[in-house]
Amino acid sequence: MSSATASLPTSSKNNHYNGQLPQPCPHLSDFKSRHGHKPFRALQECLRVKPLGRAAIRRDPGEVPRCSSCGESSRPRLYACVTCAAVFCHSPPESSHAAAHAESILPGHEIAIDVDRAELFCCTCRDQVYDRDFDAAVVLAQTAASTLGGSTMRAAPPENLRKRRRVDYRPWTPDPRERILMGKYSSPLQKGDGDLSAGLPWGLRGLNNLGNTCFMNSVLQALLHTPPLRNYFLSDRHNRYVCQQKNNANNVPRKKATGIDSSKNLRLCLACDMDAMFSAVFSGGRTPFSPAKFLHSWWQHAANLASYEQQDAHEFFISMLDGIHEKVEKDQSRPHSQGSGDCCIAHRVFSGILRSDVTCTACGFTSTTYDPCVDISLDLEPSQGGSAKMVSTKSHHACNSEPDSMISSQNCGISTLNGCLDHFTRPERLGSDQKFFCQQCQVRQESLKQMSIRKLPLVSCFHIKRFEHSSTRNMSRKVDRYLQFPFSLDMAPYLSSSILRSRFGNRIFAFDGDEPDASNELSSEFELLAVVTHTGKLDAGHYVTYLRLSNQWYKCDDAWITQVNENIVRAAQGYMMFYVQKVLNYKASEKPVAS
Amino acid sequence: MRPSINRPPTPEAEEDQEKEPTLQEIINIKLIESGEKERLKELLRERLTECGWRDEMKALCRAFTRKKGRNNVTVDDLVHVITPKGRASVPDSVKAELLQRIRTFLVSAAL
Repeated sequence: MSSATASLPTSSKNNHYNGQLPQPCPHLSDFKSRHGHKPFRALQECLRVKPLGRAAIRRDPGEVPRCSSCGESSRPRLYACVTCAAVFCHSPPESSHAAAHAESILPGHEIAIDVDRAELFCCTCRDQVYDRDFDAAVVLAQTAASTLGGSTMRAAPPENLRKRRRVDYRPWTPDPRERILMGKYSSPLQKGDGDLSAGLPWGLRGLNNLGNTCFMNSVLQALLHTPPLRNYFLSDRHNRYVCQQKNNANNVPRKKATGIDSSKNLRLCLACDMDAMFSAVFSGGRTPFSPAKFLHSWWQHAANLASYEQQDAHEFFISMLDGIHEKVEKDQSRPHSQGSGDCCIAHRVFSGILRSDVTCTACGFTSTTYDPCVDISLDLEPSQGGSAKMVSTKSHHACNSEPDSMISSQNCGISTLNGCLDHFTRPERLGSDQKFFCQQCQVRQESLKQMSIRKLPLVSCFHIKRFEHSSTRNMSRKVDRYLQFPFSLDMAPYLSSSILRSRFGNRIFAFDGDEPDASNELSSEFELLAVVTHTGKLDAGHYVTYLRLSNQWYKCDDAWITQVNENIVRAAQGYMMFYVQKVLNYKASEKPVAS
Repeated sequence: MRPSINRPPTPEAEEDQEKEPTLQEIINIKLIESGEKERLKELLRERLTECGWRDEMKALCRAFTRKKGRNNVTVDDLVHVITPKGRASVPDSVKAELLQRIRTFLVSAAL
């Protein structure tokens, strides 16, 4: 088959030229100076974009390129001279008619283009060369081809791109009047009940298990220590007394009308219950707290999950965010765009935007859609992770076939969170039973789908799909496979800009065919803040959360909180991982750790 | 004077190309014209990426480049270095799948 596409060794998934332009060889410089302003303009007409966006050089669309010297058309590398457009083959070390051509004629025929890859090559230096103008022309053709069908077809990116008004940080201290107010209406918090808890940070408090509620406790512990959420509630942004008053005022007329359903008219606000919980947990008390009110409110919101049976922690998480959102929405008809997070605190913290590109394999037309998400659910497959060994393609499909084969497939390396994210953002060929209707072809065609992240949330929640429910086989099972997760995570390679860049290859082109990622405003670096783990079987298991506070790890097992070594955390079976943007992880909370 | 007298002689290169095309060439042209070659290439790319072959080749290239120095390596060097290992390490299942596709194509193209 064709030779591997070699590229400059600086390429990694996220930056393709490290900001430095490769120096042109003397022949390229020569060519450019001789051909003035738009040296590659003539080639523009020969630029054909194949399905899936690959660019090629063909004089006419149906051309079968062959070497002018030997007539061969099946050589892996054929080059078209940019000066005289003649095509030659290049198969070192046996023969290179391209090099011969460069040497034989008068100077000026050294630069050529790979006809199948549309990449510049210097036949004398025998190496790839790079030129900004050329790459710009290629990318232009590629973008034009992919958006053929009218710009109306393109999904409009969400309107959250208006520049967020920045407020400069000003340190605050209370003025005398404020001091008096604070003293009058508050009481200082006691530091702990006994000396045992003297060293523990604020806000660490066990949660009583109210009957198989570890699924709730584990998620709540993570949320209680999610900085943006914690700050929101502790700064009184949702005051439960004010909210209650408002609600009672609204509910009074309704109460009189429907005397029967008075229980429903009782204020139900998950945010208020959260507020109460935050106040209790950060009050300094160390005895375990019983989140009974919260549980009761949540049951009312998610009636189908209201039982004393063990539930799924992830399901609870989603349901809870939904509960907070719903209540807020009813109160204020604040206009918001999907994924902007302007609607409620739950979305402000967790909402990101995913981008999905579906490309027709026949004509290359790409349909792009944006969807908001509050978390990312990742498949856990054996073939992911940093293994150098190669795996047979069989194991890739293990998920869809016999479950046993997945367990028994050779251990070819540890699964890592980055591996799962790579898998999530890979170009996926949709099966022939999932043909996508192509706008351009006007028929259903086989297509490729690729996910990427358009906007990162403040806090990323990664949910590992460990519980598999197969409706066809009427069985469920748990995937116990170990997953390695980092304490610091850089999400840059999974952003739409990076994924697009890698799709379009090694072109020197500032890719602003799309608008810049909204997440460019914040960094893409994240720090692990909590891990919800699951041990045991599918139907009889236990959730435990590990919290990272001031670079110490604490195990929160319902009512029992203990400090643990980070290696315990690393070895745990991660089910949900919460990562917070590094810039929000205030430096003050990081004490030097001797581990 | 009649123009035909001044017509330049037929260049020799053309004579070679009027030979009967080989079976391999016919197949190649049919593959290209039907678009099947492109699809096969894409399929191959996908399979080789999935099984880690591409990453392994990339690693080999990086190692070689690190050893030689970034500015002392050309595309041809890299191709030369990784071709033998590359050809040898294509998984059998991938070969089998592609061969099957090609066979199917040949049958359908009535060759």
